[in-house]
Amino acid sequence: MLHYAFMQHAFLAGTLVAIMSGAIGVFVIARNLSFIAHTFSHIGFSGAAFSVLAGWNPIGGLLLFSIASAFAIGGFGVKLFRREVTISVVLSLFLGLGLLFLSMSAKKATAMTALLFGSVVGISRDNVIEIVCLSAAVLVVFAFFYKPLKFDSFDPAGAQAARLPVRLLSIGFLLLLAVAVSEAILIVGALLVFTLLTAPAAAARHMTHSVARMMLWSAAFGVLGVWGGLVLSYYTNAPVSFYITALETLFYFAALSWGRLRERRSPEPAASRA
Amino acid sequence: MNPLAVISPAPASPRAERATETATAAALIAQHIDVHLGGRSILNDVSFHVDSGEFLGILGPNGAGKTTLFRVLLQLIKPQSGSIAFPRPVEAGHTAIGYVPQARQIDPELPLHAWDFVALGLPHAIRPWLNRRDRASVQAALDLAGAAQLARKSIGRLSGGEKQRVFLAQALVRNPHLLLLDEPTSNLDPGAQEEMAAVIDRVRRERNIAVLLISHDVNLVNRYADRILYLTPRHYAVGTVDEVMQTSVLQRLYGSSVDVLRVEGKLLVTISSDPVPAICRH
Repeated sequence: MLHYAFMQHAFLAGTLVAIMSGAIGVFVIARNLSFIAHTFSHIGFSGAAFSVLAGWNPIGGLLLFSIASAFAIGGFGVKLFRREVTISVVLSLFLGLGLLFLSMSAKKATAMTALLFGSVVGISRDNVIEIVCLSAAVLVVFAFFYKPLKFDSFDPAGAQAARLPVRLLSIGFLLLLAVAVSEAILIVGALLVFTLLTAPAAAARHMTHSVARMMLWSAAFGVLGVWGGLVLSYYTNAPVSFYITALETLFYFAALSWGRLRERRSPEPAASRA
Repeated sequence: MNPLAVISPAPASPRAERATETATAAALIAQHIDVHLGGRSILNDVSFHVDSGEFLGILGPNGAGKTTLFRVLLQLIKPQSGSIAFPRPVEAGHTAIGYVPQARQIDPELPLHAWDFVALGLPHAIRPWLNRRDRASVQAALDLAGAAQLARKSIGRLSGGEKQRVFLAQALVRNPHLLLLDEPTSNLDPGAQEEMAAVIDRVRRERNIAVLLISHDVNLVNRYADRILYLTPRHYAVGTVDEVMQTSVLQRLYGSSVDVLRVEGKLLVTISSDPVPAICRH
């Protein structure tokens, strides 16, 4: 399996994106940005569709559209975009735009499926290099802002009270998220970004009480899902994205059950503290 | 200068003696603060000072500008005029102000231990890991706030009083010279209120931190505060509890008929906002 170049590329790119998305995902959930991430993915989709039309590298359009929208969302304030109605309007608009761009291009059908549902086995050597550079850049910036970002994400009122630059942090995180979403689209597709961005992190929340360990668990769930998906897909011929989604869902419910079980066994029942 | 201000220059009280003994400097000097928000005057020529280790209780009806005053001190709002000075120099590892805001929503499912929640507040800016000194100061802050036994519990599952102590510890971990507490005792039962006030009192004595505490409970403030700042929408008074909590002073502040009753050492304030006299909700 691993002697094929396309599988090597898929494993390398998938692993990196899973690690980065897993780490970022913990903060996406803490900051209540799951659906903004989903909006980004639709905006990214239309960006990638535009690239196909213009004959660019898809990652160019993805980054252009999603980073521009990160600034727009940051500028208007995240609160507006957390509203269901805003999300539904913006999301539909960009999905429609993507459809328009693709319908105008010659390579409509293949590009559509690849962008919506991912094409991890179609990743070229150049794509892998791009993904390595982008993921490394995201993780370095993320490490630099980790401390204040953690404060602002897990205790926004406290961060404001401690006079952290909360607006700057908010926009900075949206930019990181825009890049992370763009990369995740290349692996699992625009419609399934939740699979890498929120599902592993949601599972990780039930495993531990420390943010650092949550990020490790989340990255591990992401990587295991991607690896499992690639292997299963290789032997069964069903789509990779399906298997990744199925595995992440399995991890989530397993973690949920484990968390419940542990809570029930904990020596301190919640009722005694009421 | 506001003609209604009751300024207490240096009252001959045991507190004043203590202050000179420990050679404490002023922690905060606010002079002639004017704030207008949305065309409405919120603070009108407010001047006061707080010494290191002093406990200043802030009382007053809703909408009198108590929280606005805190936001001015935090430099989140720029006053139209007036000046604020923090004369104590801020050494490395210290911060000028620690603030415990009034409203703080904590998701009950938040998977974070109280210890980690306090560590969020550590004053270093970037370093992503904790060193031994950081750990020691988190532990010291938890001990000081009386929250050491809560360290390994989920923050979302704590009771109201326990949460407040953890919030206090998070502000203390920054080693502030001045602590701003916005109604830390509201929504607590009387026992927890008393406990919280006692913890705050111990904190300021042990760390020589100046405390500004907003409360609606006259008697709680009466028991612990060295002085009080009484704000009403247009006027204010500052002084010891005995100086301010007098019928004549409050009548001037409210501009209506106010009675201050003392029943077995407890204060009871009634305002006759015509026509029916009612117990003041503050």
